[in-house]
Amino acid sequence: MEGCQTKLIHRGAEADLLLGRWCGLESIYKSRKPLTYRLKVLDDAVRTRRTAHEALMLREAKRVGVRTPYLYHVDTKGAVIIMEYLKGARLKDRASGMSRAGVSAVFGEVGTMVGTLHSSGIMHGDVTTSNLLETSSGLAMIDFGLSTHTQRIEDHAVDLRLIKETLTGAHPMIADLALDSIFAAYRKVVGGARLKQVKRQLSEIERRGRYARAD
Amino acid sequence: MVDSLIGIESTAHTFSASVVTSSGRILSDVRDVYRAPAGGGIHPIEASSQHMANAPGVLREALLEAGIPIKSIRAVSYSMGPGLGPCLRVGAVAARSLAATLVKRIVPVNHAIGHIELGCLLTRTKDPLVLLVSGGHSMVVAFSGNRWRILGESLDLTLGQLIDQFGRHAGLASPCGTKVEEAASKSAKYIELPYTVKGNDVSYSGILTAAKNLLDRGVAFEDVCFSLQETAFAMIVEVTERALAFTEKKEVMVVGGVAANLRLSEMLKTMVRRHSASFRAVPPRYSGDCGAQIAWAGWLEYNTGNSIAIVDATTRQSWRLDSVDAKWRDARRS
Repeated sequence: MEGCQTKLIHRGAEADLLLGRWCGLESIYKSRKPLTYRLKVLDDAVRTRRTAHEALMLREAKRVGVRTPYLYHVDTKGAVIIMEYLKGARLKDRASGMSRAGVSAVFGEVGTMVGTLHSSGIMHGDVTTSNLLETSSGLAMIDFGLSTHTQRIEDHAVDLRLIKETLTGAHPMIADLALDSIFAAYRKVVGGARLKQVKRQLSEIERRGRYARAD
Repeated sequence: MVDSLIGIESTAHTFSASVVTSSGRILSDVRDVYRAPAGGGIHPIEASSQHMANAPGVLREALLEAGIPIKSIRAVSYSMGPGLGPCLRVGAVAARSLAATLVKRIVPVNHAIGHIELGCLLTRTKDPLVLLVSGGHSMVVAFSGNRWRILGESLDLTLGQLIDQFGRHAGLASPCGTKVEEAASKSAKYIELPYTVKGNDVSYSGILTAAKNLLDRGVAFEDVCFSLQETAFAMIVEVTERALAFTEKKEVMVVGGVAANLRLSEMLKTMVRRHSASFRAVPPRYSGDCGAQIAWAGWLEYNTGNSIAIVDATTRQSWRLDSVDAKWRDARRS
């Protein structure tokens, strides 16, 4: 990958996103740079594990029908993934300026996506509005570094809890509507019985949280 | 005559009273701290008995030390919650008595909001991403849309609980932070512990079990302390970094008892450097529980007209900080 012309387009929490070319295609280089605050042995282990894992899960998610970037190349040792460059806006930047109908529609799509992943036994692990892209061909999901194969209700509820936390924390004005839309669409994919179980587990997780009201 | 307010803190091991002026000058901050026996944690009844015995003295001293006429005190604030029931009740009784005696209004304060707002005052940060780490909280918090919002937190144990419960297993007395930090600084041998980050949240229960097991198997205390700190801190710094990247705040501040840990500060400082943000830690004297946090947050609340009648000055053991309307911040912004 050395010698390749790349341009830094985003500095994320755990990775830099660089725009470059790969086999003539416009591509994203996702590079998990060493995080120097972490002890080196721990840091190397975490970065390698997440890189390998993300590459695998990007493909898995695509297989079950969720729009993700195409995977071009993986370098686990260097902790770099090269993938398709999806042009689009992060939902995080779009969410606040949306009409109510827009919020309903797009978060409905989020619910369908998450439901699809869950019913195929995949937990994304980091569903925030910065990991959802609005592209010309619909909503896409990125950043699978924390995802895992799991059928556990607890894990699926953790996914939904993070969505809820992100919405109430960062988009409080649209949170209620967005959540309702997500749950309605999620229900259509996983079924009412499963939704009920996941929701019950979600409240259980919230109750475990510090100083949550036990109601 | 400078307007001031007296605040009473009594959520857990510390009973403290402090007088703070309307401009944020701390005129006094007197504390009495309950010390748990070796190997044990805070016994709520014993802690509250100690608070009861010492409350009058602490209040008296705080008022005397402030050296201001009683009539300049505008109101009495107290930590309404969250915290240990018996301890909270001592603070509420003290606040009610004092308010009745001085004929002042009472202002209820959320303890966590107190940590954050005093932190902002002392570090001169305006709109920081806050890492609140103590025995009661492990949360990443930022202000958005009239409230302090929780962006990430521990799903089970707090960082303070993890360190204390581990320390107690090794025979130390709570709080164990200083001793664990000291022991950790003598080792550089890392033993892998469960690194559990779930989105923006962390889980510490796995580390606690694994670290206790290591001790039981005879692994050196220093090495386990080192590994525990490195793993647990890296996890919370990682979620703080996630929240920082997400919120794009320009300031990061750490508050709460564990903020006094130098290794944690160092890691946060290193992390923040990667982003274009500044890092501030609350001065150690005010990182842990103290009356000043309740007095200052009490002033902010009082200033926006939030005071209650004596009869309503009760306690709330469970009270999440994101349910408090931070009106003073709205006013400051618009």
